[in-house]
Amino acid sequence: MVLMVSRTVEKPLASWMGEDRIEGEVRRTLTIILKSGGCRWNRCRMCGYRFERYHTMDKNELTERMLSQINWIEGNYRSIDYDAVKIFTSGSFFDQDEVPLEVRDRLGKLIRGKIVIAESRAEYIVSPEISSFLDLIDCGDHEMPLYVAIGLETTDDRIREKCIDKGMTFGDFVRAAKTADEADVGVKSYLMMKPLFLTEKEAIADMKTSIREAAPYSDLMSMNLCTVQKRTDLEYYWKRGAYRPPYLWSALDVLLSTDENVSCDPVGGGFARGPHNCGECDREIKKAIDAYSLSYDRSLLEAVFDTECACKEEWRYVLEHEMPWCMPLTR
Amino acid sequence: MSRFEVRHRDGLARHGIYTIGDRTIETPCVIDPIAVFPDLASRPFSNIPLQADEAFVKEWFEKSGEEPIPVHPVLSEGISSGDAAIISCWHTALTNPRTYADWVEQFISTLPPDAARYAPASALPSNAAMLVATGFDLFDTIAVDLRASQGLFCTPEGVYPGSWIDEGVCSCPGCQSGELREHNRQALVSEIRLAAALLKRGELRELLEMRCRSDAAMVAILRHLDSRKAFLEGNTPIARTTPFRAYTAESMNRVEIDRFEKRVMNRFSQDRWDVCVLLPCAARKPYSFSQSHKKFQEAVAGRAHEVIVTSPLGVVPRELELIYPAAHYDVPVTGYWDREEMHILTGYLAEYLRTHPYRRVISHLEGGASSVARSAASEAGIQLEESCIDGRPTSRESLNQLYDALAGERKRSHDIISGTIQWQFGETIDTKGMLIKGKGPEKKIYRGRQQLFSFDPKTGLLRPTFEGWSLLSGCYQVRIEGFVPQGDILAPGVAEADPAIREGDEVLVYGEGVRATGRAMMSADEMRRSSRGVAVKVRKVKRS
Repeated sequence: MVLMVSRTVEKPLASWMGEDRIEGEVRRTLTIILKSGGCRWNRCRMCGYRFERYHTMDKNELTERMLSQINWIEGNYRSIDYDAVKIFTSGSFFDQDEVPLEVRDRLGKLIRGKIVIAESRAEYIVSPEISSFLDLIDCGDHEMPLYVAIGLETTDDRIREKCIDKGMTFGDFVRAAKTADEADVGVKSYLMMKPLFLTEKEAIADMKTSIREAAPYSDLMSMNLCTVQKRTDLEYYWKRGAYRPPYLWSALDVLLSTDENVSCDPVGGGFARGPHNCGECDREIKKAIDAYSLSYDRSLLEAVFDTECACKEEWRYVLEHEMPWCMPLTR
Repeated sequence: MSRFEVRHRDGLARHGIYTIGDRTIETPCVIDPIAVFPDLASRPFSNIPLQADEAFVKEWFEKSGEEPIPVHPVLSEGISSGDAAIISCWHTALTNPRTYADWVEQFISTLPPDAARYAPASALPSNAAMLVATGFDLFDTIAVDLRASQGLFCTPEGVYPGSWIDEGVCSCPGCQSGELREHNRQALVSEIRLAAALLKRGELRELLEMRCRSDAAMVAILRHLDSRKAFLEGNTPIARTTPFRAYTAESMNRVEIDRFEKRVMNRFSQDRWDVCVLLPCAARKPYSFSQSHKKFQEAVAGRAHEVIVTSPLGVVPRELELIYPAAHYDVPVTGYWDREEMHILTGYLAEYLRTHPYRRVISHLEGGASSVARSAASEAGIQLEESCIDGRPTSRESLNQLYDALAGERKRSHDIISGTIQWQFGETIDTKGMLIKGKGPEKKIYRGRQQLFSFDPKTGLLRPTFEGWSLLSGCYQVRIEGFVPQGDILAPGVAEADPAIREGDEVLVYGEGVRATGRAMMSADEMRRSSRGVAVKVRKVKRS
């Protein structure tokens, strides 16, 4: 019976085809979310991925199951259909406890020649690990074949610690970025707009500062708009009216305020658990942000930002009057 | 440094004076928070949700030396008398009734009573009465201004579309000039002034029962709070001089009723009576002033203990009919008693019959009251006699039946003095030789030429003289230390107070070489924890 289970076909948690702008070009991207041994840190207040992992399993079985996921990818996507691959796990692709080396190597061979973006916490960005993976995938076609994606979230250590509990400093990130740079590996920084305990205005200011401060260490930057995932601290507060995801107006404000090219995928946009406005204007703004992330054409954002909606007045009021001692003012 | 002095209380609500710098604010009140508390503008990244757990709060709570001082449900120390406490994000409590009630109890029991309480971003015209009634003093316009920015029109009855500004439902200056924000602010300020005016009269509860109808969560908050009897009882005046309007289902749960009945059960004893007649209530208070009760008393002719069965009070022995709220309540009378009401009243009466055994119990009741008596008697295992034979207690036939039923029973009189002292002080004294003198409302009690007590005609309670106090064994006393009172006793002068003391109770003050009679202006608990405000209004001082 145990044998039967271990031989069942394992699928990744999710995988899909999409488009991303990388190195000035829109690329066809395969995104894969692998079910892994799980994030070793496992404490971030907003993170719901920590439940999507294999529990209490020996290394051999973990390896077998993850290899089965790679086989599934191989069998379901044709290599010719995509130019780039984004790899996510519930934690760090470069942590061997989470993703066994054999699995990493097998995937590397499968996607050799593609541009690869692999997510990892900063502490696992060490040179032999990333260099050997780079060697596996690099066939000389791309200027920067490998990017490590690091969830920096914010450049403010105090916010990262209180609001996220990330267990990492900006200094740790900078060190990881330098390690990557020295190995000719690119850095993609993920920022998190509006984690817990920030007013709308504080969240906007934090993103503007973070973009400015993270830019020198980043080849790519992406801003995630905080969403409420199940069974998280964040959800606990959200259910009790103590948290509201960011307004899409705020996301526009941030993206428009910088000359940096920051991509943004407003996941859950327009839903109560995701970044949202009033429900009337959300769809158009989400569309504009999606289009912007492929073109970095600011006029797309300006057009929706200049559209008046009844909720904009509310957003302006919130920006001006929401304080740490009276928040969130809206749901 | 700021100061706060409570001037009037009504349950958990207060009217007071908050002084900060050269600003004096009469509470409850709407303030401009940044103008009054400039420090509030600069507390970045300091959010701690009310719902945060202790570990998080301990790690991240930032203390402030500036007013207002932040407090949290798991961390309410650090506030001193005279401070303003800010209960951050209180608006998020309003949607969770059970925790709202938990936190109100927590804050009121732990914060110094003479610290002002600021509920930021919470007040709307429709919930202001609830906020005031749950002990908040300071409010702002953030919530109403937010509604204006959302195009919403606020009234004490709820929140409606902004187009109502043109509907003529309000004629405030804001409505006249078409400014929604102005209207919303006006509506809030007026509602808070109304709540303040009513709390000074002791009628805030009646407003609360009206206003909570706009939101199920508010009705739920009221019910959750009402179920916390011990907490509320300690914070409720012993008597009021204003009507007690029991007009809603929630009125049945008022702690004043519970307290009245508990004292009837536990403190009052029927002593020498062994025959009881259960009588219906009357609209006129006290009951004995009504036509019907004059007829009942004529038929009973002193041969049975008269006990009135009534909604919502339950059981009112004749001796206690003057005491608040027995002489003060009013109910809508339709002749129909609902099941919930009957269930509650049956509980009271059954308990009364268990704790007060009689040889005979005669029900002279009809309708709902009669059903209550039957169920209560069966619950208490008592044989019930009935004398109302035609469903009309005042009919000649029923009255005759009652008269005949008592044939041969001994004549006695109701001892109002003993009953009232038992209810008020929980002690039984020998009233032999005491006489009630004086016609009209101002009645005095003498033994020989010595005055012992006088009745407060507005509350039905007794005011003991020094000689009256000497008959009681040391209860309801307040000890002062280190001074001879020149007038009223202030809270910081109180060294010790009988924990039974409630606002409005008659008390005896004593200290070295001095005694004084007076009325408590706050509960013993508040005397102990306050360092400002009048604790006892002194009537007479005597040096010894």
